[in-house]
Amino acid sequence: MPVDAKPDAIALNSAPGYLSIRELRKEFDGFVAVDDVNLDVRKGEIFALLGGSGSGKSTLLRCLAGFETPTGGKILLDGQEINALPPYERPINMMFQSYALFPHMSVEQNIAFGLKQDGMAKDAIARRVGEMLELVQLQQLAKRKPHQLSGGQQQRVALARSLAKSPKLLLLDEPMGALDKKLRSKMQLELVGIIEQLGVTCVMVTHDQEEAMTMATRIAVMDQGWIQQIGKPDDIYEQPANRFVASFIGSVNLIEGVIDEDLPEYVTVRTADFPAPIYVGHGITCYEGQPVAFALRPEKVHIAKDEPQGETNKARGVVEDIAYFGSHSVYHVRLPSGAKILSNFANMKRWDSDGITWNDEVWVSWDDNDGVVLTS
Amino acid sequence: MSTPAANPASDINEAATLRQRLRQWLPGARSAVIGVPYLWLLLFFAIPFLIVLKLSFAKMASSIPPYTSLIEYVDVDKAFTVHLNLGNYTQLLADSQYVLAYLSSIKIAVVATFFTLLIGYPMAYVISRMSPSARNIAMMLVVLPSWTSFLIRVYAWIGILDSNGLVNRALQALGLIDEPLHILYTPLAAYIGIVYCYLPFMVLPLYANLVKLDNRLLEAAYDLGAKPWQAFVRITLPLSRSGIVAGCMLVMIPAVGEFVIPEMLGGPDTLMIGRVLWGEFFNNRNWPLASAVAIVMLVLLLIPILLFNRAQQRELEGKLA
Repeated sequence: MPVDAKPDAIALNSAPGYLSIRELRKEFDGFVAVDDVNLDVRKGEIFALLGGSGSGKSTLLRCLAGFETPTGGKILLDGQEINALPPYERPINMMFQSYALFPHMSVEQNIAFGLKQDGMAKDAIARRVGEMLELVQLQQLAKRKPHQLSGGQQQRVALARSLAKSPKLLLLDEPMGALDKKLRSKMQLELVGIIEQLGVTCVMVTHDQEEAMTMATRIAVMDQGWIQQIGKPDDIYEQPANRFVASFIGSVNLIEGVIDEDLPEYVTVRTADFPAPIYVGHGITCYEGQPVAFALRPEKVHIAKDEPQGETNKARGVVEDIAYFGSHSVYHVRLPSGAKILSNFANMKRWDSDGITWNDEVWVSWDDNDGVVLTS
Repeated sequence: MSTPAANPASDINEAATLRQRLRQWLPGARSAVIGVPYLWLLLFFAIPFLIVLKLSFAKMASSIPPYTSLIEYVDVDKAFTVHLNLGNYTQLLADSQYVLAYLSSIKIAVVATFFTLLIGYPMAYVISRMSPSARNIAMMLVVLPSWTSFLIRVYAWIGILDSNGLVNRALQALGLIDEPLHILYTPLAAYIGIVYCYLPFMVLPLYANLVKLDNRLLEAAYDLGAKPWQAFVRITLPLSRSGIVAGCMLVMIPAVGEFVIPEMLGGPDTLMIGRVLWGEFFNNRNWPLASAVAIVMLVLLLIPILLFNRAQQRELEGKLA
């Protein structure tokens, strides 16, 4: 079910955006790939569709490009309904996953393809291709064939080709999928720079949450054809709408419990894992006895050998595992109930000799407003 | 402690020497594997070809075998003399009959290849767009007729094209024609026969090429504003060029020398070099002239073969670079 509990997101959905998707549905032989999706993308925004495989994100993108015909619903771009338009009549261009550059054409010819198709004059094409080559800094490689280029260069050609026609909407299909990790982070920022420089509205599809967080202004998290949550990267991370989003984005400690006290200024959650109820320092919409999950990000869990102050939001456990990541370590703390709590610990000192190690008895604790109560 | 340590070491040594021995032995095995086809080519292509070449420089003689030998030992002079007779070649050039036969063969082969391509390309294209299981069945159907004898398949066309044949009877039954059409024993029948028999040789390389075509390239073309037919012209067609060239060569080269089809279906006006060759060899018993006819045909065919090879090489280099 679509859960979008955030009031501002609902308000946003009612105001039509530059690109509006209304109750879009796509079925393949009885299988529902995209299930009544509503979405609004503002002009100039980089919007990411984030999800695992089979989440429907790629199908949704292909519906926008015109490669799939929706079973139902509407797609409006700049006020014009584009459902019935074939891909070659849509003012939308796509940068394909692994680029789909034409192997028999040079870099120039690839970029000029769409312009030629529009019947643009020869000198105008040459000028536009020149601008595009300059934009992606490939002037020297204009005469090369795609197979003579590196992965990063191919991606620039693909970007230049999809931007040459100045599309109203740019689609990116797993833009970094074919690049290695190091190049990826460099190209992510470069790509965003170019897109923002041109001010083109962009919808991208990715399964990589870091990529979505780095590049997008807003993200829609998708699962099984539904949009689970729409929001800015930090909203989605800090205020996940449900269990799926909380565990899909980053790592999280999910603790199942029931609402014990429901008051306007605070709530408490009774769990089997902690001796005292969890104290949440703000009110939420719920009722007493409602089953909920308490989501706590590992970097918000403090770990110490000495018992912290306060009566609530702490527990005793044993360090079972330590995963060392260089910049930080993740401590796996086993509670007496059998539940495991992850705690990130920034490695701010070199060779911390009196640090916590395997089988140490420790206390985990967190602040009153550090966790999120998930009602669904 | 020393024994268990020494054992693995000696094992390693043994393995190393074994590998070394294998390596010494392997080049021999490798050249044997490569040598077999070369030996085959030598025995059944190079030597027969040299015999034909030798024959083409001989003279017709009423003996057994019916030609003069090139090298003769003259007892008086105590010397070998070589008789290199170029008369057969000059005759080929001088007699317009032969020149016409060559030109007509090439014309028939080119036209037939064109129509084979015209029919074969859409077939290969449609099959390559089918689901994988349907593809296999369709390709099977293309190849299946080749499992019966070539001669029988050509013969069957007589039954189809005859004045009393299937085509004429069907057309008459439909009331489209009053008189049976005269198709059999005309050049048209020869064209039909060649196109039919060589179609699989066109479809196979084209299919092999088109099935590899990345559908996302077409989607990218549509995305950039190309209508389906424009995407076909600008993407599919250029990318399938090597398949087109291969198919055309595979059809045209044997079609130039085709004998059975024009003989059985073509009638007397279908002038083809294969028939001329047959006539010289079997009717006139002029083996040297027949050999010269064959050599000239080979040289003519060598040009497109070389062009084809070069095109393929260039494509290969382009892919590797």
